[in-house]
Amino acid sequence: MNPLVCMRPPREALLALEDGTVLRGRCAGATGEAFGEIVFNTSMVGYQEIVTDPSYAGQIVTLTYPQVGNYGVSAAAMQSGAPALAGLVVRDMCYEPSNWQSEGSLPELLEREGVVAIEGVDTRALTLRIRSAGAMRAAISTEDLDPQSLVARVCQAPGISSRNLVADVSPRQEHVVPAKGERRFRVVAYDCGEKRGIADGLASVGCETVVVPWDTPAERTLALGIDGARPDGVFFSNGPGDPGQVTATAHAARELLGKVPVFGICLGNQLVSMAAGARIEKLPFGHHGGNEPVMNLLTSKVEVTAQNHNFGLVFDSLGPIVPEESGGYAEHERDLRAWCRRGVAPVVRTAEMGRVRLTHVNLNDGTPEGVQFLDVPALSVQYHPEACPGPHDSAYLFRSFARLMEGDADYLDIDVREGRRF
Amino acid sequence: MPRRDDIHKILIIGSGPIVIGQACEFDYSGTQACRALRKAGYEVVLVNSNPATIMTDPETADRTYVEPITAEAVEKVIARERPDALLPNMGGQTALNCAVALGERGTLEKYDVEVIGCDLDSIRVGEDRELFAHAMEEIGLKVADSGFAHSLDDAKQIAARLGFPVVVRPSFTLGGAGGGIAHDGAELEAIASQGLSLSPEHEVLVERSIEGWKEIEMEVMRDSAGNGIVVCSIENLDPMGVHTGDSITVAPCQTLSDPELQRLRDYSLAILEKVGVACGGSNVQFAVNPADGEVVVIEMNPRVSRSSALASKATGFPIAKAAALLSVGYTLDEITNDITQATPACFEPSIDYCVVKVPRFAFEKFKGTSERLTTRMKSVGEAMAIGRTFEESLQKALRSLEQGHAGLGMDGTDDFAGLSEDEFASRVAEPTPERIFFVAEALRRGWGVARVHEATGIDPWFLHGIDNIVRAGRRLHELGTAGLDAKTMLAAKQMGFSDVQIAWLTGTSAEVVRALREIEGVRPVVKTVDTCAGEFAAHTDYHYLTYEAAPVGGTAQSEHAPSERPRAMILSAGPNRIGQGIEFDYCCVHASAALRRMGYETVMVNCNPETVSTDYDTSDRLYFEPLTFEDVLNVCEVEKPAGVVVTLGGQTPINLASRLKAAGVPIMGTQPDAIDLAEDRERFSELLDRLDVAYPPSSTAQTVDEARQVARRVGYPLLVRPSYVLGGRGMAIVYNDGELATYMAEAAHVSPAHPVYLDSFLEDAIELDVDAICDGTTCYVGSVLEHIEECGIHSGDSACCYPAFSLSDAIVDRVRRTTRELALAVGIVGPLNIQYAVKDEQLFVIELNPRASRTVPFSSKASGVSLARAAAKVMAGQKIADLGLPPEDREVGYFAVKEAVMPWARFPGADVTLGPEMKSTGEVMGVADSFPKAYAKTRQAIDYAMPEQGCVFVSVCDRDKRAIAPVALALRGLGYDILATRGTAKTLRAAGIECEVCRHLSEGHPNALDEMRSGRVSFIINTPHGHDSRGDGARIRGEAVSRGITCVTALSATTALVQALAAVRQSSLDVYALQDLA
Repeated sequence: MNPLVCMRPPREALLALEDGTVLRGRCAGATGEAFGEIVFNTSMVGYQEIVTDPSYAGQIVTLTYPQVGNYGVSAAAMQSGAPALAGLVVRDMCYEPSNWQSEGSLPELLEREGVVAIEGVDTRALTLRIRSAGAMRAAISTEDLDPQSLVARVCQAPGISSRNLVADVSPRQEHVVPAKGERRFRVVAYDCGEKRGIADGLASVGCETVVVPWDTPAERTLALGIDGARPDGVFFSNGPGDPGQVTATAHAARELLGKVPVFGICLGNQLVSMAAGARIEKLPFGHHGGNEPVMNLLTSKVEVTAQNHNFGLVFDSLGPIVPEESGGYAEHERDLRAWCRRGVAPVVRTAEMGRVRLTHVNLNDGTPEGVQFLDVPALSVQYHPEACPGPHDSAYLFRSFARLMEGDADYLDIDVREGRRF
Repeated sequence: MPRRDDIHKILIIGSGPIVIGQACEFDYSGTQACRALRKAGYEVVLVNSNPATIMTDPETADRTYVEPITAEAVEKVIARERPDALLPNMGGQTALNCAVALGERGTLEKYDVEVIGCDLDSIRVGEDRELFAHAMEEIGLKVADSGFAHSLDDAKQIAARLGFPVVVRPSFTLGGAGGGIAHDGAELEAIASQGLSLSPEHEVLVERSIEGWKEIEMEVMRDSAGNGIVVCSIENLDPMGVHTGDSITVAPCQTLSDPELQRLRDYSLAILEKVGVACGGSNVQFAVNPADGEVVVIEMNPRVSRSSALASKATGFPIAKAAALLSVGYTLDEITNDITQATPACFEPSIDYCVVKVPRFAFEKFKGTSERLTTRMKSVGEAMAIGRTFEESLQKALRSLEQGHAGLGMDGTDDFAGLSEDEFASRVAEPTPERIFFVAEALRRGWGVARVHEATGIDPWFLHGIDNIVRAGRRLHELGTAGLDAKTMLAAKQMGFSDVQIAWLTGTSAEVVRALREIEGVRPVVKTVDTCAGEFAAHTDYHYLTYEAAPVGGTAQSEHAPSERPRAMILSAGPNRIGQGIEFDYCCVHASAALRRMGYETVMVNCNPETVSTDYDTSDRLYFEPLTFEDVLNVCEVEKPAGVVVTLGGQTPINLASRLKAAGVPIMGTQPDAIDLAEDRERFSELLDRLDVAYPPSSTAQTVDEARQVARRVGYPLLVRPSYVLGGRGMAIVYNDGELATYMAEAAHVSPAHPVYLDSFLEDAIELDVDAICDGTTCYVGSVLEHIEECGIHSGDSACCYPAFSLSDAIVDRVRRTTRELALAVGIVGPLNIQYAVKDEQLFVIELNPRASRTVPFSSKASGVSLARAAAKVMAGQKIADLGLPPEDREVGYFAVKEAVMPWARFPGADVTLGPEMKSTGEVMGVADSFPKAYAKTRQAIDYAMPEQGCVFVSVCDRDKRAIAPVALALRGLGYDILATRGTAKTLRAAGIECEVCRHLSEGHPNALDEMRSGRVSFIINTPHGHDSRGDGARIRGEAVSRGITCVTALSATTALVQALAAVRQSSLDVYALQDLA
């Protein structure tokens, strides 16, 4: 809200980055302080889904679209019980939303949930700074309004990889999410910060899901099928922070691969890939938005995808290329878009899990977006087929998981239009 | 799929003349398509009758035919050029219709031409209401349900099916007269029975009412592999009921949630597939019920459109270019994003600013017509603004309109006095061009958002934004100048307030506000339109200015890259309006090209989203900013140009020239003092006297008494006009004291700072338009255009011919000599235009425009010399002698005719006559080996067909009676029957010409109107009797417009038309490629 319009003098707030940048703005949520890693998200709508996405735990999110909160908030849009992000940065906050589904305003939600937010800062300049300097430690404060002091404290704050954020957002208890319609599968989902959209996606293809804490041992999981049998599949969810911190889940993934069909999304993709021996890298500023083009190398179709990750796997670290299954090509390509141009989905031989095929590539920067295991039943993607927020192009992947569980070899060969059915 | 190699030569059809609803956005898209396809290695053949376009420049396509867009003419082009493929979706509905006609007459099959981009069936489904409704039903989507009723019972039955309220629209009535919304059975009975009786076909359309729903547009692209993207969502501020072209629109969509928008995305892509758009861009419009989110599909256009041009400018994503490449086999992932140069076009742009488009209207030109906005588009142009918030962009857009507002009011222009409460309330409720100001005033008066929403249906989110502006304005007023500290100043600028508004609100001057800002360091920052909200580096300089808080201890970040090369800034023409349109944009685009070639880095400033000049490809740098003094000076301060070009963008930049110069900005070419010398009638008259050049006796007056004195001295008729205006706005011919007094009373509103000019009006003189260039020592006369209509009809509305067809070489020589003399004496360095009148072998100067004129594109195309480019070079210091221009007096073996296109059909109730005030929206050109043939082509280009037989209704005023006989004789010779009013018939019979007498309208039936309704009358010759616009003549002309009957209102034009009819009878019209004329 513009200060000329405020009824009472706005409460000042500061945003400080570890590079010394300090932006002065106004409080747009709860008062207090928030420390975290600063990132930006380029979705123009879907702020409530972003704010309640548990993967943002430990992060301060800058929304690049300048006017935020326009259509209010509603219970239906919550992606988790409460926001997990550290803080929110916007250019202009809307206090009087308008939409038939609106049940309140975003600043009210933030204040109620204790999320510190700042408005009135130049979010585009900030975004360009993050783009060039990478994700940084940062803080928003309505308490410490001394720039030097706040920067100094940011520099002393721990980085995002210093601890396991998944433990904060993962549930303590197991619980069951029923299938929509007829139950076709019993699936166990490792909830590392699972978005509700994913639970809905699994339910929509007939999965009755037992949601388990992040550190559930594999043996326990294998006994969670109907009547104590093995489940039909296991799902590894999205979640916050550095996958290197989530050792218990990584261990479970290694145990479970080969025993039951496995599907991973986002952090889940990283954990599944790590189980096959992949190295994980941190991207300079990650992918956060709803417009990332991803090509499915098996169909050559492009999906416009929703993404939210700072870490990703390094495809060539999985193992050497298998030329006879990779169109005769024997060398790895750093920029994976080369495979898009060739129309080839390359296969590598991993040390632990046999052959793995690259199935999805990000067309913006040539990073890997999805793999399928050829010798064990598993697939995983780095992006968010459940969207929430974002386009519905990739929703077919839930059906792919269902087909994988049914033993269908062509499980990825589904038209993107399937996901857009209404 | 890669590029198709089985096709080599592609025919593109343009959209023809600028008309309301189809403007220069199709020049932008067509030009992009031509360039993209040629770059991809295809040969491009173009047909477009509009000479004012960049696309019809000989260098844009390989083969350019400025010919009528009729199936006959295009078939001739196809027969000559034998293209492999036809791309019909770049030229609006005109091109689609032509493609369908070519298909139906078998041309495409005969010459084996493949339609690419969309197929003929999908065009039909997109157009045909019933087919479309059926297709939508099949994929589970709803359209606004409706049915045709021929009786009250029918209407009741349909209403019962739809549920109340329903909209009743009588078929075929003028401007939808007699329709309305019925909320219950009683209202339905009243409205429907009236509608049935008013409709000539006794037919009404009963439609489910969705007035008040949100109107959302999605700009969608799809490729042959099935990949689909939404380039942009656009939300209309005005809810359903106002045509989207007449609505204030906002991008991206503001009030829908992610699930709602994603659902519309799913629908849009499914609709494209269902309608059969294999690849290309389409526009899909939805209505969304604000109460429960219910969605109804309004329409889809399987082609690029005004909205796609807007979406391209709003996002930086070149839809037309991409659509052209998709049509030849590329897929979206194979096209590179121009702006990032690193990512593919197969993504959905994310924008980090708010875009507001505001339409510009011209109701002041069409007195007598209702200003109420409906589903029938009436705006003539639009301005777009980019800012960080809706509030900022709305204010920028409103001042971009150049209609005297410095933002959303609060600038001294607000005038709500003299309205009763009820009148005020109805002005708030009724959609009109000025409604937005009434909405703001209602909020200022404390109505509250809820009540205004109730009255207008405008979404509360937008109303809150407007309310924010109003409240901020009030706060500024309370704070006063003393309260304008840096923080307040920044906050005001972030709300989009201009210096003029801040000055008015705080009781100081704009200069003081600017100086204060300078001291406080509140300066605009440069931001970039980059398609990706900053995620990737941008490689194009497409910018806007906004205001942002600086980081602590630093300065606000500006994305402005310094450059070594000198910068030339070009100020373009702003929103299209009658009198200032695409022609000036054409000149600016050429200037940019010429100056780039000379080593300048060119900087374009404009706010018109339809144009080629606001394509980020046109100049090195593009600033999408209002063309006000403040905004332009802001760009100047950032770019520090070596020179600013002000003489190519029409009157808009001319009006800024002297203030810019005073602010220290270097002006390129003709200096402000020379501009003033030409525009100040007194100074100019002195100059003419000194040079002994004749001009019609004239004088100025500020009061009615002064004006009467002038009239005594100079004598009637008088041509009266305000100074410093374009397009003859407020210009009139007065014949007596009474008319003069009326005019003087009204003129005060037009341009209060300047007096009214009164010129002796030269009746029956021939008018000439001369386009020339002067470098300070030499003057080159590019063209001498002879008008068809006599003096007194605005040059913009008059047809004209190159070369002059009825003047002696001696006169033309004298015209060139006088032009040279005047150009040098005034001190022109660059383009100029002089209008002359020739009467009895005498040459009179009517006016000298120290800038490029509306006719420059036509002159350039007709003469083969690019005058705008030459002018730019001259302004940059080159000499005419070094430009290698052909001799002025060379013989050309052809005639080129330009004819104006009038928008009468859009303004029911306005009188259909030509006069000194310009009313045309566009123009067409015809080229042939004789004047009549060339003129015939222009008639075909406008009306698509010539009235080849039947009956001609003739009714002329006394002045024209002597001259009508030979015309009528010729018509008889061509086999037409003649129907005349009594007076005219008497003259004709006296000349021995057989004719039938027709009753006056007051004399019962059958009268002229009945004859027209019977379909007997194929065209009308009616020259106005006196000045009574409410007489028989006006009604007859109005009827002609609503029935699409050609109506000629000037005798000179009648002669030309008859010659043209004869020419068409004698021989068929050949088609000419511009490339062959040179």
